[in-house]
Amino acid sequence: MKANGNAITGRRGASHRKREKAKDFLCVAPALAFFAVFVYYPLVDLFRIGFTNWNLIRDDYKYVGLKNYKWLFKGSGFDTWLASLKVTFSYTFWEIVITLAGGMLLAALFNRESKAFSAMRSIVFMPKYIAISTSAIVFMWILNDQYGFLNFVMGIFGKEPVAWLNSERTALTSVLILTGWRVVGYGMMIYLSAMKGISKDYYEAAELDGANAFLRFRHITLPLLSPTTLFLFVTTFIASMKVFQSIDVMTSGGPYESTNVMVYWIYDLAFVQFRVDRAAVVASVFFVILLAFTAATMKISNKSVHYES
Amino acid sequence: MANDSFAANVRAKRARLVSTVLQYALAAIVVVVVVFPVYWMIISSLKTSEELLRPVPSLWPAEFRWRNYSDALAMAPFGKYFFNTLVMTMGIMSLQLVIGSFAAYGFSKGRFPGRDALFVVVLGALMIPIQVTFVPIYGMVAKLHWINTFAGLIVPHAVSAYMIFMLRQTFKSVDDSFLEAARLEGMGRIGIIFKILVPMCKPTMLTVGIISFIDGWNSYFWPKMVTTTPFRRTIAQGVYELKRSYAGLETMNQNQIMAGAVMAVVPIIVLFVVLQKYILSGFSKAASK
Repeated sequence: MKANGNAITGRRGASHRKREKAKDFLCVAPALAFFAVFVYYPLVDLFRIGFTNWNLIRDDYKYVGLKNYKWLFKGSGFDTWLASLKVTFSYTFWEIVITLAGGMLLAALFNRESKAFSAMRSIVFMPKYIAISTSAIVFMWILNDQYGFLNFVMGIFGKEPVAWLNSERTALTSVLILTGWRVVGYGMMIYLSAMKGISKDYYEAAELDGANAFLRFRHITLPLLSPTTLFLFVTTFIASMKVFQSIDVMTSGGPYESTNVMVYWIYDLAFVQFRVDRAAVVASVFFVILLAFTAATMKISNKSVHYES
Repeated sequence: MANDSFAANVRAKRARLVSTVLQYALAAIVVVVVVFPVYWMIISSLKTSEELLRPVPSLWPAEFRWRNYSDALAMAPFGKYFFNTLVMTMGIMSLQLVIGSFAAYGFSKGRFPGRDALFVVVLGALMIPIQVTFVPIYGMVAKLHWINTFAGLIVPHAVSAYMIFMLRQTFKSVDDSFLEAARLEGMGRIGIIFKILVPMCKPTMLTVGIISFIDGWNSYFWPKMVTTTPFRRTIAQGVYELKRSYAGLETMNQNQIMAGAVMAVVPIIVLFVVLQKYILSGFSKAASK
């Protein structure tokens, strides 16, 4: 393993080797210092702030023990917290369903080699690269109660106009319409690139055995795509739990907190209500939940994912 | 007999043709649905307010009102937003590429104790998003007097764990004999990284660079936290700011808001069309790891 370096370093002795190691370490030092200062230290600090009564208005603060945790678990914060968890998970659930199921369906539909299909694939993939905040404003116009195009189209089919973003029953759905538009092409692209890697021999062998298209999909494509499905599941889970932009622009957490997702609530506590201490506790607990779910997913998936040997 | 197989052949061909036509038709419908919001944004940006609010929306403007664009520019400092976004994005991208290349070299080709354990520390950062830690980071940035500054916008995003991961993977695939040859010629680490590894891994460098650029361009969360005045706002916030500046009169000025959206979106669409080859290859690479 070290054979390559030895020819040179061997001749010049141990102190030179040591210096070489130090220089190699120096290459990673800036990145490590960054993660220490801007990722790990803030995480520790976050938990510390949770035990204080710091707010953004005053500069001084003192430690108040578990007061903020009591507010969250046993006090007036509890109901909002539960509601926020519920809406965050239901948003995440639907984003995952759209990415996985929608992406798989579109991958099957767009899996054809031709110039036209290659161009169409790019178009379907593109929305992911448009800033969420900007597309959110376009969708708000399409979803407008009175003048929106969607209500107009529904009117043609004899449906009553829907108050989309202004009703607590449909606000989350409205946000998810934008999400679906953004992510479905991404799921498709990831699945398509994985499908390209599956050897044609499997399909030919299955066809000789008389398996029809559905059986081939069910018994070859689906299991061999399971590492991809896991990848999409984990990355979509982490990304969608952090949803903020579309909520901030489209609903500001409302109406009646019906879209008050976790990150929006933390932001609102810190920068609108100036309760940094409470925001820190909510964020700390949120971090633990994120970590636990990701770890659990990894563990379960290790047993159920098929890898092509 | 020959006739039968001929008929079967025709039937099979017809079935194939039907399924091809069906596939094209369904795919075209999907494309129309995906393109529609972009089309609607552009069309709305050119309508008059009167036409915008008709009970039956028109699919093509009766009269093109190009003034919506100059009106939008008069309402919000888009030039400033573009400038801020460009400086922030270029700053983030260059820092991420340079620091990332050094780190990727160290983690792939370097030899020092604890290397792989430290790499886990880098990967761990992927599990700690700024959306969780922004409160303490904000406190830190405020103490440094970095609110409403480029330093505040750039530095908290200066290193990307994802990029280090991708670059390390590629650098690993470069054979050690190249580095050995360079060393024998007296090349130092900086030379090896930027004259050997980076040029040899050009496709990946381009991909991660472009992705970093687009992410920076579209970033919203942290810029919103760290900017309090329009003076340092970025384009992703800009259209929302424009919309808010019509306070209460958004609906009738929707054409100007859409004009703002078009201006914000066009650069990224152009970039996507020109560079899509690298963007797409980046995603298949990420998925296969």
